Amino acid sequence: MNKLSGVLIGCGSIAREHLAAVADLENVQIVAVCDLSAARAQATAERFGIARSYTGHHQLLADVRPDLVHVTTIPSAHFPIVRDCLSAGLNVLCEKPITVDYREFQVLKKLATQNHSLLMENQNFRFHSGIRRVHQLLTAGQIGDVLEVQICLYLNIFDPNGAYADKNAAHSSAVLRGGIIGDFLTHIGYLAYMFTGPVLDVRTIWTKHNGDSLFPFDQLRGLIKGQRATAYVSFSGNAQPDGFWVRVVGTKAHVETNLYEPPRFTVRRLRRGEPALMKLADGIAESGDVFKGSAVGFWRKLGGTSSYDGLSALIAGTYLAVDGRVPPPVSLEEIDAVACLVERLTTDLLP
Amino acid sequence: MKVLVSGAGGFLGRFVVGRLLESGHDVRAIVRPTSTTPIWNESVEIFPADLRVQGNLKAAFDDIDAVLHLAAATAGNEDIQFASTVVATERFLEAMAHSSVKRLIHVSSLVVYDWARAKRIMDEDTPLLTAPYKMGGYTIAKIWQERVVTKFARTHSWDLTVLRPGFIWGPQHTQIAGMGRHIGKTYLMFGPLTRLPLSHVMNCADCLVAAIDRPAAIGETFNVIDGDEIQVWRYVREYARRSSQPGLMLPLPYFVGYGVARLASITSHALFGKRGKLPSLLTPGRFESQFKPLRFSTRKLHDVLDWRPPLTFEECVNLSYGLAGTENKDPVPL
Repeated sequence: MNKLSGVLIGCGSIAREHLAAVADLENVQIVAVCDLSAARAQATAERFGIARSYTGHHQLLADVRPDLVHVTTIPSAHFPIVRDCLSAGLNVLCEKPITVDYREFQVLKKLATQNHSLLMENQNFRFHSGIRRVHQLLTAGQIGDVLEVQICLYLNIFDPNGAYADKNAAHSSAVLRGGIIGDFLTHIGYLAYMFTGPVLDVRTIWTKHNGDSLFPFDQLRGLIKGQRATAYVSFSGNAQPDGFWVRVVGTKAHVETNLYEPPRFTVRRLRRGEPALMKLADGIAESGDVFKGSAVGFWRKLGGTSSYDGLSALIAGTYLAVDGRVPPPVSLEEIDAVACLVERLTTDLLP
Repeated sequence: MKVLVSGAGGFLGRFVVGRLLESGHDVRAIVRPTSTTPIWNESVEIFPADLRVQGNLKAAFDDIDAVLHLAAATAGNEDIQFASTVVATERFLEAMAHSSVKRLIHVSSLVVYDWARAKRIMDEDTPLLTAPYKMGGYTIAKIWQERVVTKFARTHSWDLTVLRPGFIWGPQHTQIAGMGRHIGKTYLMFGPLTRLPLSHVMNCADCLVAAIDRPAAIGETFNVIDGDEIQVWRYVREYARRSSQPGLMLPLPYFVGYGVARLASITSHALFGKRGKLPSLLTPGRFESQFKPLRFSTRKLHDVLDWRPPLTFEECVNLSYGLAGTENKDPVPL
């Protein structure tokens, strides 16, 4: 059986997640990696047993014609690299956000359409075990009609040993509209879009809680009115502990999951019976769910399961689509709609 | 001699600059732009730069006779350490390659050795670790940093000296990984009689300057340690006493700790295959690199560099704990 071939451009931390996910696919082989740093490219190649490493994507594309190019560079480098790949008629899986600017995305979309290339953005949390479970319950009618989704991301961006608050070397996401928060808007955007459908209206409040920080903003609150439901979205660089909470409120049940702590998932159902007893039953059920989620989460951690839950499924689906066997995991139109939503979430920041 | 020092604002760098000045050298010190510049003699030329950031570093090498490369990260995740240590070194040496400077002294670490293959005595002939990816970010970065330095030096025919210090300790950096673990009021020591490859920051700085001054050091690699007479229990006892943190000193034989780590590793492999993850103490390779009972040779330092530490352990202790509240929070890696 001929294996599909992939190459990877940009050998930072997310690249390791891509390469680990590909290692689980029997019919795919990464044949080359590329990074501006020769040492980083060589270290990545050595670690994953990849034959070739490059320091420039032009040379790589001249030597190799892969079935899929993984673009895992810093956001500002996505556009020129993806454009070069699509111009060469190659398929691309690009990290989020696919472009810094929505107009750049339009250029890429046009190129992909013209050249019949697949263009995919990493929207891994769509395939997260918690989100898949929400969908199972929705499909089974157990949540009822979705009225509202709440998406709250809490992340300590002020850790002195972390990458965000480094005063000497600005983080790569500093170029994004919304700065550090902009790095997470794609995740927030597609998760909201999955439940709201086409967006009708967006309202946001951007604030700065930590007056001493480098960042122009460290908090976002937003309301998204969609055709199917509304979404409340928030990001806080100050709230602790870290968490990425998704809460779906339906006419029959509320469900809640922490995407940073899979498979933690709780359900509160509408129960018929004596209210005091039903509250006790809810408490017992929720405690069981929380304990089960925490215990399995700990076990997964020992097992080295990636914290990028859903990435393996997205990558596997992308290669299947490259092979022409299934449609892409996320359609180009939906990637477009999410990029547009992200743009709208940051409209208030425009001068 | 005019010496360019990278990482001059760091723990070791501050002492190295001071020692260079004492030895009569001129110094240009690379310090991160937002770092507090140490109080040095006015003659020190400050070159504000962060090696991780694209910028013009070429001017740093103007009129320089020798380069002391100390810049490296000791904290942060694997990617932060790789970027701060390895990628930064690539940028720094690319700039050096555009200059006429030929003399480079690189400060590496004992972590680059394969501790599992070290038998009884660790010296400069101990094999290097070739597959470091099960180790921590610091080890991976230091191994790749040395590879990058060696490759550049070979390509450009530089006069290279590699110095590999042990546990560098000193004022405000007295807690070292080799001590074991300080949990609550208990000091858990893995092998209380194990000898520590200590390098007091002032002795280490003295050794680095000696390597610049002595032509015999060119083309050589040295393990930089003060000696291996100090055992874990004694270091921990001094730490507990001098930092006013008394506690129960709980000794655990090295082989018991290592056996637990091996057992954990085998269990993890059986359950999860290669992907299994364990904390540092339960990863055999990482356990060995912190606690393996070895002797550490100083023969080459004596014979080739003719260097001996100017300060005794007692003097180092008095200097390091001279100020109140001098204990550090994070253990110093090798």
